[in-house]
Amino acid sequence: MNEMLLVVMLAGRRAVIPAVVVNSVIELGEVTPVPQTALHIAGLAALRSRPLTLIDCALSLGLDREPTDRRSCRAVVVEHEGHLYGLMVEAADDIVAAHAEPGPLGADPGPGWSRVACGRVETEAGALPYLDIAALIAGPEEALAA
Amino acid sequence: MDDLLAEFVAETREMLGALAGEIVAWEANPDDRARLDTIFRFVHTVKGNCGFFDFPQLESLSHAAEDALADVRAGRRQADSRLVDAVLAVLDRIGVMIGEIERGEPLSEAADDVLIAALAGELDEGDRAIAQIGGVQHSSATPAAEQRTIRLPVDLIDQVMSGVSEMVLARNDLARRMQVLGADTGLEAPFARLSALIAEVRDAITRTRMRRIEGLFATFPRLVRDLSAELGKQVFVEIENGEVELDREMIELIRDPLLHIIRNAVDHGVEAPADRLAAGKREAGMLTISARQSGNTIHIGIMDDGRGIDVDKLAAKAIAAGTHTPEQVAAMSREEKIELIYEAGLSTAESVTAISGRGVGMDVVRANIEKFGGTLEIESLPGEGTRFLICVPLTLSILPSLTVEAGGQTFAVPRSYVEEIVSTAGGNLEFAQIGERRYVTFRDRRLACISLGDALGLERNDDPALFVILRLGWGDLYALEVDRIFDHHELVIKPLSPGIMRSGLFVGCTQLDDGTPVLVLDVAAIGYGAGIPRELHRPSAITAHAAPRVEREGLRVILFRALDGERRAIAMSVVEQVERAGAGAVRRPGPDAQVVLGEEILPLAGVPAGAELPERITVLRLCEGFERIAYAAREVIDIATLDGVLKRVNGQTQVVGVTMIDGETAELVDCHALFAGQVAQTGGHGALTCRLDGDETWMRNFLAPIIEAAGYRIVAEGPADIAFVEGDLADEDECEARKAIRLRSAPGPADGSDSIYRYDRAALMAALLRAGEELAA
Repeated sequence: MNEMLLVVMLAGRRAVIPAVVVNSVIELGEVTPVPQTALHIAGLAALRSRPLTLIDCALSLGLDREPTDRRSCRAVVVEHEGHLYGLMVEAADDIVAAHAEPGPLGADPGPGWSRVACGRVETEAGALPYLDIAALIAGPEEALAA
Repeated sequence: MDDLLAEFVAETREMLGALAGEIVAWEANPDDRARLDTIFRFVHTVKGNCGFFDFPQLESLSHAAEDALADVRAGRRQADSRLVDAVLAVLDRIGVMIGEIERGEPLSEAADDVLIAALAGELDEGDRAIAQIGGVQHSSATPAAEQRTIRLPVDLIDQVMSGVSEMVLARNDLARRMQVLGADTGLEAPFARLSALIAEVRDAITRTRMRRIEGLFATFPRLVRDLSAELGKQVFVEIENGEVELDREMIELIRDPLLHIIRNAVDHGVEAPADRLAAGKREAGMLTISARQSGNTIHIGIMDDGRGIDVDKLAAKAIAAGTHTPEQVAAMSREEKIELIYEAGLSTAESVTAISGRGVGMDVVRANIEKFGGTLEIESLPGEGTRFLICVPLTLSILPSLTVEAGGQTFAVPRSYVEEIVSTAGGNLEFAQIGERRYVTFRDRRLACISLGDALGLERNDDPALFVILRLGWGDLYALEVDRIFDHHELVIKPLSPGIMRSGLFVGCTQLDDGTPVLVLDVAAIGYGAGIPRELHRPSAITAHAAPRVEREGLRVILFRALDGERRAIAMSVVEQVERAGAGAVRRPGPDAQVVLGEEILPLAGVPAGAELPERITVLRLCEGFERIAYAAREVIDIATLDGVLKRVNGQTQVVGVTMIDGETAELVDCHALFAGQVAQTGGHGALTCRLDGDETWMRNFLAPIIEAAGYRIVAEGPADIAFVEGDLADEDECEARKAIRLRSAPGPADGSDSIYRYDRAALMAALLRAGEELAA
């Protein structure tokens, strides 16, 4: 069976998230900001009765980037270590099948990308970076501290 | 008590069941340290529980087993097959006894002394067979216990609970949509029914998991009393439970660690009365047990004002036990040395006592607390006391909260921390400015103000009008400046993701009725983070430097400040417990006030008629024989000995007299009148009635209270059993009473009639008694 992948757009580039970990894709309503927290954590929203920690994927890629627009973005809901996260991306429309297992990234994909992508995968929509959800959630500050 | 006993039986049985496999493994390999420790902990726990329930046979047996196993743990003895057999026989015998306790039978006589001797290694080979008899009995004597309850996995209840939470949100959503549709949708009635049902289910499912921590705490005063009596110490327990509710499961889990810590505190922490006096402390030790809820955490504090942990002795023991080198120990700070208490087998106790035994204490206690994700912290100052802080998690807790606004955002504050809300609107707040720090004066204390907006890096309001006074765990107070205060809510707390928790400012997240997420503030972190000093609230610290007191003979009293501001004293022997209660727990403030404490409703004395109650009051629970009364106070001041002259006061019915304590006057509460009044009230309508005819003011104010106290019911008019008549006022014929007692206002001998001088109290009471007896006959 070929793995199904969700194609998302972040910082103007396409990338994929394994569809099996995706709970749903939602549009954002009210967002509660969280003071005194890492910049890439955009706030809290609620998915029914569960809190959803919003991760601005563009900022997670690099703090110098443009924040994702809250009104037009989509949030990809994933569960990670018992908590729900909403990964804010510019678009999340397509589901494609992978042609092969993810392989090595190859040449340096540029600042931030080498951290959030754990490989490259050939898909129906071409070769795309395969995103590491844990790295997206951890954000750039975590990487600096480590 | 029956509940506790049933729990003890169930718990012991469960542990025995779990132990079965361990025993076999230990028998196969007696050198297995982990198995040995497990069995040791079991007998230790049984022994501890026995002390509480008074099963001397069971206690001596488990103590003997503990002794033997401790010797093995310490390497003083080899676990030979004879010892293993003896221990196994003891475990079987415990199983038999538990069965007997459960069936309510007296404990059977068995060769326990032989078993104990076998444990002590005093028997030769031939007697081994006898020791084994204990084991043989067991298989036939233990019938399967009948279970009248079912056990459910907590996961399942969690799932139902979270389903119900979703239902509440769905209902709220529906309500909003119905509002948009306007009136007359025809849906109102079914919607109301649905709402009621959901609320009912939510309550029920919440109840299945939650239990008030009070039920657990209620057993402690008795435990401490018995322990301290046994040890020849005086320990006074103060309990502050903050109406905390906790998962049933969690209560079970913290019971043993708490018992261990309390036993240790009474046994090793609090000094003997003579030592305390020599150290300049009060004779009676003070043990404070408190519980507070903060988001997903319950903080339980146990604080004594004893001698503190002797770190040098601990260090010496660690060196002697070979776990640390002298160099390592020398490099340790005091805090690190205190941590040594967690090393297995270390204890500072000089002597092995029946109460806390040897150093099983803290290593087991901490292991048990950490097993379910809790933490244990110990702070100790030499000579001043030790405080233990247990934090246990509480998922899916319902948290009463206050919602506030700062910098345009809404936050929730756990209500258990909120002492009071004050506002500048009345214009009576006094401020002081020390550098950049603002102080507000609250009840004669200058409290540091912390702007919530500032603390969170949001917009700061330079002219704050509202302050939430927060009380942190150990009596540290501060004022939190907020922009608005919304409402009280019962909120369901959800955990936050680690990324957000890292800020350390929040303990969880919750949703308002409209589904908006709201962050719950960690007010302790915010307070301490902004530089509120951690003042160790140690009642003894104040008196520690005073001159040592001379041993005094006299009545031991608790000195407290009554609601009307008076200093009062009450005999310590009648005070069963000191608690804090919210003003909401008080019904009908005034002479007939009642207070709800846990599931009990007690008459509450000490509430002046029409008094404004403070938000939280201290309640002294008084007990004498079968009667229980609560007495309301602002605060407990001290424990003292009455040695001064008691000056009688007239006209006050609840006070015996006034005396000097520590250079200030204090009124001694008339316990007799208190309880007598209570008995009269419970006497109700069956009591004899009494009518007062004459100088109304005097009768009502002077005479009525003592007559009521004697158990009579006063009626204003009409027929009565007894009438008091002022001598020159009326004829007996007009009295419409079965008996009349005539009073006269002039002292001296009676002028021919049978009248009594109205201040001749003895004769008056005798006449009343005689009349009562004649009527009853």
